[in-house]
Amino acid sequence: MPYNAEVSRANPSCFLFLIDQSGSMSDPFGGRESNRSKADGVADAINRLLQNLVIKCAKEEGVRDYYHVGVLGYGAHMGPAFTGALAGKELVPVSEIGNMPARIEERTKKVDDGAGGLVDQTIRFPIWFDPVANGGTPMCQALDRAHSILQAWLAQHPGCFPPIVINITDGEATDGNPSAAADAIRKLSSQDGGVLLFNLHLSSQRASPIEFPDNEDGLPDQFAQLLFRLSSPLPAYMRNIAQQEEYPVSESTRGFAFNANMVAVIRFLDIGTRPSDLR
Amino acid sequence: MRVSAQAFWVVKAGNSDSEYEDAYCPKKSPRDQDKTCFRFAVADGATETSFSGIWAKQLVRSFCNDRLDVTSIGGGLRDLQQRWSMNVRRRPLPWYAEEKVRIGAFAALLGVALHDDSCLEDPHEWRAIGLGDSCLVQMRGEEVLVRFPLDNSASFTNRPHLLSSNPAYNRQVIEHLCSIKGTWDHGDVFYLMTDALACWFMREVEEGRRPWSILRDVGPYGEIKPFREWVGELRADRAIRNDDVTLLRVVIE
Repeated sequence: MPYNAEVSRANPSCFLFLIDQSGSMSDPFGGRESNRSKADGVADAINRLLQNLVIKCAKEEGVRDYYHVGVLGYGAHMGPAFTGALAGKELVPVSEIGNMPARIEERTKKVDDGAGGLVDQTIRFPIWFDPVANGGTPMCQALDRAHSILQAWLAQHPGCFPPIVINITDGEATDGNPSAAADAIRKLSSQDGGVLLFNLHLSSQRASPIEFPDNEDGLPDQFAQLLFRLSSPLPAYMRNIAQQEEYPVSESTRGFAFNANMVAVIRFLDIGTRPSDLR
Repeated sequence: MRVSAQAFWVVKAGNSDSEYEDAYCPKKSPRDQDKTCFRFAVADGATETSFSGIWAKQLVRSFCNDRLDVTSIGGGLRDLQQRWSMNVRRRPLPWYAEEKVRIGAFAALLGVALHDDSCLEDPHEWRAIGLGDSCLVQMRGEEVLVRFPLDNSASFTNRPHLLSSNPAYNRQVIEHLCSIKGTWDHGDVFYLMTDALACWFMREVEEGRRPWSILRDVGPYGEIKPFREWVGELRADRAIRNDDVTLLRVVIE
């Protein structure tokens, strides 16, 4: 299947994020000596992904609703994880995400001044999610819920660019083996291709970050290997862009990352001309 | 030398006319025919950046007012970038629009200067610059003399090198600036096209067809309606990418 449907306001696509909010996420992230927890890593990852997705769709007049977006949390509770005005909603247009962060923080960033130097610039950083670590890890339940949300979406949008699911977790499901539920999601499809399921593994293991591997041999533990196997291969058009960004990719490359972030996936989305020098 | 120019444009299907992000200059066929140089330009603002339509307009006007040098556009850019920045920061912006302004706007630019100047070594010289995937075609009768800066349909991607309103992104991009010169003859036709139409043109040529005959005859008096209907048909047949489309047809009589 081609994965070449145009993403537009008239033919939007869908993003569903699953975030692990279980008790094990209070463990250190990326090594015992780390002062950050995996829950900090999840909050950072989802906030960055949402921020990048909103910016991708932003134009001068506002945010164009190229995507509808949902975030399911799973831990002591499983269900829609937005707070505030978006609380309880399964899928919302991306413009609502952009206009309704929980708060906006100011951060300082060093940026290129165009003359070979760096200058400090204050940027506004929206926050939708704070770290949460509580209860078990009902990943299978979350995948099942994602399946039913996407099934309904696809019935209403049969010609859409296939929805993308990004599951952010330490991989330690407590409600069984998630393979069958993940498989069911990957078997959903629009006329343009199968739903893409990508996994971002945040681990206490002290190991180098890994992005978009094409085999499981170098992965550090059985959780990473399982999540790799649950992940969809990158479609050809994404592989092309990944290659242009100098990721070493093959036909077996999967949408999986270990202790990294998945912001690159947002860059891989095609909504029109993107300057080649923009990273 | 008598030069006439006709511009045709149509916005991406699904967008409103106010969302048009290509640009062209001049807006009307030159009235003053006594000049020694006629300048024409098209630009294409990138979808993924904001305020890129404004940036594209600034670039074509600047080129046509001879504020961007034909062989090196480095010099005139800084002023344009400052003007763009002042223009888009006039009112408070939401966080995402502010971030887009911080990144900057990007656009492809193609400009051509046609000389009729006995002081030049070749009085009938033309020079062009191109950065990105907007293209120039020079036709002499049924012969395609020049395709610039891209010359085949496979060269078009969704990630071209583009000129930015943010100086930080232009240091490497300037290396991709192309320039060319040639000579014109009476009866020559120059087509300046943004990428979707240029890619269609190249593919038609590659497949042995004569796309120039359509471009030469569409809207013979500059009427835009037949052009828009024709692009609509190409889109319906998936023969052209759904994007803003701009054509500037320049005829040397």
